[in-house]
Amino acid sequence: MLKYSLRRILGMIPMLFLISIVVFSLAKLMPGDSLSGEIDPNNTDPAYIEEMREKLGYNDPVHIQYFTWITNFMQGDFGKSTRYKIPASDIISERLPNTIFLGFSSILITYVLAFIMGIYAGRKPYTLGDNAIGTANYIGLALPSFVAGVFAIYFFSFTLGWFPSNGSVDISTTEGTAAYWMSRIHHVFLPALVLGLLSTASYTQFLRNDIIENSRKDYVRTARAKGTPEKKIYNQHILRNSIIPLITFLGFDIVALVGGAIITETIFTYPGIGQLFLNSVSQRDYPVLMTLTMMFSFLTLFGNLIADILYGIVDPRIRLD
Amino acid sequence: MEISTSKNTQINLKPEKGLSPWALARKKFVKNKLAMTSLIFLVFVMIVSFLAPYITTIDITKINIGSMSLKPSAEHWLGTDKNGRDVFTRLLYGGRVSLLVGISCTLFVIFFGTIVGSIAGYFGGIVDSMLMRFTDFVLNFPFLVFVIVLATIFHGKVNGLVILIMVISLLSWGGVARIVRSKILAEKENEYILAAISIGCSPFKVITKHLLPNVLSTIIVQATILFASMIVAETGLSFLGFGVPSEIPSWGNMLAFANEPDVLQGKPWIWIPPALAITLTILSINFVGEGLKDALNPRSRR
Repeated sequence: MLKYSLRRILGMIPMLFLISIVVFSLAKLMPGDSLSGEIDPNNTDPAYIEEMREKLGYNDPVHIQYFTWITNFMQGDFGKSTRYKIPASDIISERLPNTIFLGFSSILITYVLAFIMGIYAGRKPYTLGDNAIGTANYIGLALPSFVAGVFAIYFFSFTLGWFPSNGSVDISTTEGTAAYWMSRIHHVFLPALVLGLLSTASYTQFLRNDIIENSRKDYVRTARAKGTPEKKIYNQHILRNSIIPLITFLGFDIVALVGGAIITETIFTYPGIGQLFLNSVSQRDYPVLMTLTMMFSFLTLFGNLIADILYGIVDPRIRLD
Repeated sequence: MEISTSKNTQINLKPEKGLSPWALARKKFVKNKLAMTSLIFLVFVMIVSFLAPYITTIDITKINIGSMSLKPSAEHWLGTDKNGRDVFTRLLYGGRVSLLVGISCTLFVIFFGTIVGSIAGYFGGIVDSMLMRFTDFVLNFPFLVFVIVLATIFHGKVNGLVILIMVISLLSWGGVARIVRSKILAEKENEYILAAISIGCSPFKVITKHLLPNVLSTIIVQATILFASMIVAETGLSFLGFGVPSEIPSWGNMLAFANEPDVLQGKPWIWIPPALAITLTILSINFVGEGLKDALNPRSRR
């Protein structure tokens, strides 16, 4: 197992290398010149522009430019944002905690809701409650996150006024106080719910079906025959077996969060790296854009790796070598 | 089974002809009320959208300052948007674009995925590992991030719709390739494949005539699921402003008006119709997909 994990982690390196080449080529292909941010717009003297180009290395051959970029990148120097004129790492690290907070809340809400609904529906299948949960699931699976987000803002923020429709925190609160954290939770709840909607629906359905399937198995019959209380059968015998496959989805959650964060943060104007990514695309802020694309690619690779490894741990029948 | 055959011979009746697997599947599907209703709804939406120019005669491109943001009325069934364009008409035209993008992406993805998957699965060995490494590589790209970056690069250079379809397809075929490969791997172990090879069928013929028809049911189910996710991809990208060019109406572009707080809060007739259209279409595609999965699975008992 350890050997396999190590090999997979080492296998990520050539993959990241290839991805970095793709990211670099894409950034080079993008319209506009990333130089335009560095040059003083009032100075249109061609000699000045040429000097700046030379100084910033834009006249070097492409492979040397790539080499310079990747060397700096590996050393944690992600370049200077052409828009904000400060290092890209500063902008990203300012936004990153918000996205991590959003991601964690989303996974937490997903698991809690899926557990409650899945266990209930699995325990009492084909009843009114199960059917209601089933219907909600079908709608949840069919609602794309941006539609769900728009509806959520309309109903919960505007009509009912329960949750704020934008931002990550109430600016009037001071950092570190209880009110500050309450405000953050208050702000993150709706986006996190929307972000986790699809996985909540699929987990609930998965858990329900797994519990129903397990409850027909021999070990449950044995437990019943021994006189084990029904509650204990479900909460201990069955649940233990049904939770395990659910855990393997964690890796895919990380992958889904990458795309989901971009959409959800934009709808809720939540200041995280997803929103920053879209802004950097439209403002042609290449250093930030490249760093974020690399980060998202790394997260996707990492998520797939986690999924594969967890899969092997949970189901020993799957041979990993 | 045995009893009925012996009875038939006794009474000397013609033995009833068994239904083909496809006929069986069709019978099962038609009996599934939810799937049938969804299918009828989908077909209806498609017909109405593709016949949009014949159904309404209102010009969708003309900006009409005199009738901006009107509430639904007899003249404008779903009201007008911020540029004075009729929402109902735009909804029909938008459906045309969204469904067209969805269908074309699905066809491309199925085509590429099936080619790569069947070649990898049939030939195995080094071809398989090379192709699958490449598939893994493509699958490791975060979809939305790269679609946005690619769409920005090609923006304005070529027809926006074509680029969108190409970019989405380019990044999505990996999943289909994996599934088709695993199905082909299992299927090619059968003896009829060995027989086909031994009488001298070319690999192309073995794949197209013998292997693909037997994995077709899987591909069909995959195609339905893909169709739904391709519509989500298109509308999502257009919603963010990186999809269909904004001058062409699509459900995503129409929903993008909801990004403006005053529209979202005070003019729900502008954004609720496209939101409902997207949701209902995807819901019915999902139901059709489940119905197909059920119908094509010989082990399901319905």
